[in-house]
Formats: sequence, structure tokens, C-alpha cells
Amino acid sequence: MLVAVISLVGTVLLFLAMMTLHKKYPTPFLLPVLTTTFIICILLVMFNIPYASYMEGADWISKLLGPAIVGLAFPLYNQRALIFRYKVTIISGLVVAMIAGLVSVFAFLKLGNASETYILTAIPKSITTPVAMEISGSLGGISPMTVVLVMVAGFTGAFSAPLIFKICRIDSAISRGLSVGAASHGVGISKLVDYGEQEVSIGSLSMGISAVIGAFLCPLFVNLFM
Amino acid sequence: MRKFIKIIVQIAVLCVFNELGQLIVNTFNLVLPGSIMGLILLWLCLYTKLIKVEWIETGAGFLLMYLTLFFIPTTIGVIEYPELLSAPGLYLMAAVIVSTMVTIAIAGIVSKWLEKKEVHREESQ
Repeated sequence: MLVAVISLVGTVLLFLAMMTLHKKYPTPFLLPVLTTTFIICILLVMFNIPYASYMEGADWISKLLGPAIVGLAFPLYNQRALIFRYKVTIISGLVVAMIAGLVSVFAFLKLGNASETYILTAIPKSITTPVAMEISGSLGGISPMTVVLVMVAGFTGAFSAPLIFKICRIDSAISRGLSVGAASHGVGISKLVDYGEQEVSIGSLSMGISAVIGAFLCPLFVNLFM
Repeated sequence: MRKFIKIIVQIAVLCVFNELGQLIVNTFNLVLPGSIMGLILLWLCLYTKLIKVEWIETGAGFLLMYLTLFFIPTTIGVIEYPELLSAPGLYLMAAVIVSTMVTIAIAGIVSKWLEKKEVHREESQ
């Protein structure tokens, strides 16, 4: 009981502290999700607390994930003018991006003889974490591992996007925002701030819509190819 | 205090949509997170003005501000999978890195081409 209360309250307080820290030093390495997860993992190992006892309290936090995802309808509704203005580019571009991401990760893993569970775990990697986690769970992947892979995809985008933009001459706000939003979600988008406001709004829009597209395409892909 | 109650009530509205989405997904046996179905429903309700933006914006804004907090407990479950640092686990991460770079390149090139066509079409109209 005591562990449950401490887990619940402690996670929230630590997260709020880490948010303040990130506001002061805004680098992707200090993203609250990374620092909070890292510190709690260390604490659990140090004090020999099983994950199940931690979850007795902390699982209450997860209950807000569903309503929060539903809440994404609000920014997507606000940006409807931008969506309708570039509907063909955005929708077809995002479908292409999603298929490229699915096929490439599937091909690499098949090539390396990865297990089926690993493939299912990696399939939603380019989708924003909360949704990727849910998709992974419903496909039969390992959700916490998917979260780590989503972070890896995010950081890859944040660090490699400038070079890829240069090599492939991706030079418009739409193509930059769309590609990074679709492949590297929020962490990648944080890098788009260097380019401009339009890149960022196209990026977050792309992230939201690809979460919806991905929720349909991932199970379809798995049904067809696995 | 009034703002606090407003947030709670609006989150309750979002919860209703989440449950509704879950219900639809279960009823039709869809392999789709219920929350995504809820998102689509809410978007449609906002678009058709069945639901006013003012009824959800404060609650949605509040939840989205702390969105990453809500998946931290599940993420911590990764401590039960030290295999991520074994050879197959590292290969998995490498595959994700390469796939992400390929995706950015393809998506960027294709959308640049699509954008040119769409803007061109609008101008010729």
C-alpha cells in the first residue's frame, strides 16, 4: 500500500520536476519522459522493488492515456484549414511515409532473422509513443520495448534530418515537416524548431494524422505479410 | 477552483469518447486502439458542431500538456526486458535507426513532388 502511494505520487512529482528542468535546459536528452523513466528504473533496481508493486500505484497514471489520445482531436480540429489546404499532399505523403517505414523495418528484421515478437514490437515505431504503445499491445508486441524503439526513431530523426534534407534536397516547409513528423514524431519535431514555425505545425499535424493512419495500416500490414 | 472543476468535467467528456471508441472497437472486433476510434469520433463531432470546442478545449489542453507522463509507467516496464541490450535487441534498434532515415528520405522526396503538383494544380485553376 505504502509503495503504491509513493509510486503514484513520486512519479507525478518527479515528472513535474523534470519538466521544469527541461524548460530551463531544452535539449532532447533532458526530455521529461527520458529522465523520469531513467531515474525511476534506477530507483526500482536500487531498492529491489518489483515492477508489479510499482505498477499497483503508478498504473492509475496510465488510465489517463486513453482520454489524452482522444484529446488529440482538439489540435487536429484547430488545424483543419491547413489540412484541407494541402489534403492531397498530406494524406498521400503520410500513407507513403507509413508504408516506407513499415516495409523497411520489416525487411531489415526479416533479413536479420528477428523473432516474430520483435517484428510486431518494432512495427509501430514511427508513430507517436502513446498510440504506438497501444498498437504494439493490440498486435501482440512488447509495449515497453516499443516505447524504447519509438524513442530511438525520434532521436534518429532529430539528429539525421538536417543531413538527409541536404542530401535529398528536401527544402520546403511541407516536405520537411511531413517527413520528420511521420518518421520521428514529437522528438523529431523538436528539431524542426530550428527551421521555422510552419515546419513545426506541419510536423505536429503529420504526427497526429499518421497516428490515425498507422492505427489502420499496421494491423493490415501484419495481416497481409505475417 | 472553477477552472479545476471545468478540467475534471471536460476530461470526463474525453473519457466518454474513449469508452465509446473502445466499445465500437470491441463490438466490430477491430485491431485498432479504442482511443484512436474515440479521437476520430470526437473530431467528427467537433467538425459537425455536435460538440462545441469550448466543451473540451480546457480538458484536452490540460491532458496534452502532460501527455508524456501518462505513458511513463508502462515505459518503465522495460526493466523487465534486459534482452534489449543483447545482440538481437541491438539489431532491433539498428533496424529502427536505418528504417527511420530511409522513411524521412522517401517521405520528404515524395511529399515535395506531391506538393509541387498540388500547388501547380491550384494555380492553374
